[in-house]
Amino acid sequence: MYELKINGRTYRVSAYEDEPLLWVIRERLRLTGTKFGCGMGVCGSCTVLIDGKAARSCLVPVSSVAGKEILTIEGIPENHPLKKAWIEEQVPQCGYCQSGQIMEAYALLLENPRPTKKQVIERMSSHLCRCGTYNRIVKAILKASGGKT
Amino acid sequence: MITRRDLIKMGGLTLSIMLMPAGYRLLKAEEVPKRYAPNLWINLSKDNVLTVFVNKSEMGQGVYTGLPMIIAEELDFPWERVKVQPAPAGKPYVDPKMGIQLTGGSTSVSNMYEILRLAGASMREMLLASASKKLGIPKEKLIAKGGYIIAGDKRYTYGEFSELANKEPLPEKPRLKSPQEFIYIGKGVPRIDVPEKTNGKAIFGIDTFEEGMLYMVVERPPYFGAKPLKVDTSEVKREFPQVEVFTLSSGGVAVCGDSFWTCQKARQKLRVEWSESFVKGWKDKDFENFFLSKLKDKGQVVKVKGTPQKAYEESPIKVEETYIQPYLYHATMEPMSCLAWLKKDECIVYAPTQSQTWVLESAKRISGLPESRIKVITTYLGGGFGRKANVEFVAEALEASKKLGKPVKLIYTREDDIKSGYFRPYSATHIKASADKEGNINSLSFKIAVQPLLNGRASVEGVENMFYAIPNLLVERVDVELPVSFWFWRSVGSTHNAFSIETIIDRIAYKAGKDPAELRLKLLKDNPVAYRVVEYAMEKSGWSKNFGKGKAVGMAYHYSFGSHACHVAQVSLEKNKVRVHKIVAVIDVGPLVVHPDLIRSQVEGAIAMGLSMALKEQVSFKDGGVENTNFHAYQILTAEEMPQVEVHILTSKREMGGVGEPGLPPTAPAVANALLWGYGIRINSLPIRL
Repeated sequence: MYELKINGRTYRVSAYEDEPLLWVIRERLRLTGTKFGCGMGVCGSCTVLIDGKAARSCLVPVSSVAGKEILTIEGIPENHPLKKAWIEEQVPQCGYCQSGQIMEAYALLLENPRPTKKQVIERMSSHLCRCGTYNRIVKAILKASGGKT
Repeated sequence: MITRRDLIKMGGLTLSIMLMPAGYRLLKAEEVPKRYAPNLWINLSKDNVLTVFVNKSEMGQGVYTGLPMIIAEELDFPWERVKVQPAPAGKPYVDPKMGIQLTGGSTSVSNMYEILRLAGASMREMLLASASKKLGIPKEKLIAKGGYIIAGDKRYTYGEFSELANKEPLPEKPRLKSPQEFIYIGKGVPRIDVPEKTNGKAIFGIDTFEEGMLYMVVERPPYFGAKPLKVDTSEVKREFPQVEVFTLSSGGVAVCGDSFWTCQKARQKLRVEWSESFVKGWKDKDFENFFLSKLKDKGQVVKVKGTPQKAYEESPIKVEETYIQPYLYHATMEPMSCLAWLKKDECIVYAPTQSQTWVLESAKRISGLPESRIKVITTYLGGGFGRKANVEFVAEALEASKKLGKPVKLIYTREDDIKSGYFRPYSATHIKASADKEGNINSLSFKIAVQPLLNGRASVEGVENMFYAIPNLLVERVDVELPVSFWFWRSVGSTHNAFSIETIIDRIAYKAGKDPAELRLKLLKDNPVAYRVVEYAMEKSGWSKNFGKGKAVGMAYHYSFGSHACHVAQVSLEKNKVRVHKIVAVIDVGPLVVHPDLIRSQVEGAIAMGLSMALKEQVSFKDGGVENTNFHAYQILTAEEMPQVEVHILTSKREMGGVGEPGLPPTAPAVANALLWGYGIRINSLPIRL
């Protein structure tokens, strides 16, 4: 049994020791906004924040995050500038990778509230989007951070 | 499942669109014959909400927005009060032009545009008629606008008259808006699915649950064309006694357990002996040699015009090339996933599918139940690109649920997904082309060896039907048989054929020292729409000042799925790596632009996928199976590699074209042509490797 703090709430859940946090969040706790994409930390669809840092939840064993603060897409308020910019720029197409993209952007802005376009592109290049929404993602992040688009 | 009775019970004003032998017809709910159901239901409720039951799959292309928007336009209804529900699968929802319920071929909006407008306009007139009776005010003095009936200084919501309006007869010839009156068409509305896709609330196939469900993963052979011979579960059973293992008719071995992670752990203990296969042991080179050898086989002549061989021999400029293009993986970000529950007298399937009809067929076959006992729930699709019109994964989940008597959720891991195949087919193409000394192409002989889709129609897609006026033409195909499964992939045949044809045109122009854009204009002189698309791309890209030998700027034009597209790419080489800086894209979509931003986003996306194909993608083989089984090795385009994209939309008086696919085919050849003019590099196989 593990005690997880997710989006400010405490969940008690039983899982395998080596079970990736992703599957616990998604399938056991049914917070399905966090997505499975590759299972090896390459695509970024499963990105969550652990103690304020972006992490690929498909690589994080659930046993390693007890007591840590986990933030998922569901925990970011709907009126957050990033979510608003995402809607204004009409970023998503299929939408599947977008939770991970937004979580990475959220972590980036925590570390660097005014990133340059180059910094945004560099950081977001670790996330895959098959629909090709990249340019809109960059625009939305710059918009949310008040930077030059 | 929504039935006719449910809709009548919902109250308000309900109309339906049904396909009759003479075409689409608009019907009132109670006029729908009992044993039939319409293709689309539209309901305006008492509380003034418009709900549209859409018979298409939303996979990112915006169909949940595009179709309802057209109804809301004629109804003159506020967009924020419009809702969408996926229509349940069944005969009534079959797409009339395709004969099955399928989202593909870039056809959704173009097929339904007129009837959707008629539906909205009819509802508006029925509301006006009923309001006139209730208020005792002549119809001419009432205005229906923005969801309100306006009578002098008073206004009432449409919803207030919806029940009464439902008793009105359908107007015979409702007045349609003139384009000047449009509030949405040509301008667009915010996508209906964007807020929930931004908040993590959109439900995809992988996000569905049923109480007491089991999970399932499928172990696949290490090489294509093999079946399990012997399945040794002894180690699995020792550690995971509850886990069930059995073979599936797809050739995979199912591992079912109480959680996804249980299944993943259990499959590590599984020992499967696989049968032999024709391609066992094959590497990339073996595929290449095999396809090249097939080019020597006698082909089927698809089209012949004039005397191509004679023209070739007599011409001063000749080009002969052989192209190799690999198998491509769809890489939908959501891997195949499905939840099926086959009960004794009922079957429920949650699927991210592009083909509800084929899901239904599978469910009928596996369950033995009649259609009326099967409920197919279409979820959002985390990417489709053609792959999710294949329903093998759905059949696998159904088979497992039947065997275990429980709801079963199947999840393909990324490795399982890529190993499951159904790739964009591999192809080898041989082309001989000739021109007079001005570079005017006077002959083209095209021969392709490829696994045939659509009875071989896809093999020659974009060549056999091209608009270039080439007097002597030969198109041949060789149908290849191999145990590697193949399937549709965003504009499929046009992906490989546009690449070979469009690069050949530039090779001819390069040899003749002529401008390839001018050459295309000459070849397209008989098609004013195509001509204008190329001309417009020249203008918008600043062709005359940017193009030239030594400048890495390239163009490609292609017609597919009813639309013409022409791209101009600006490219450079940085440390032997191709860098694409900008793509100017022009697309002609036919008579009108329904939703400009949906078109723009589709073209942006198609260009991203086309570039990915040009620069990075290839399914590579080891021992007859996929070697690059995850994104670290099967790499797709990233944000860093995404160029600036400028999309220009043109219209022309003709049938409406599609927008999901046509932006893809010209991308790779435009880049390759830029490399030819800028650096003298000839690309004959993809992805581009320098």
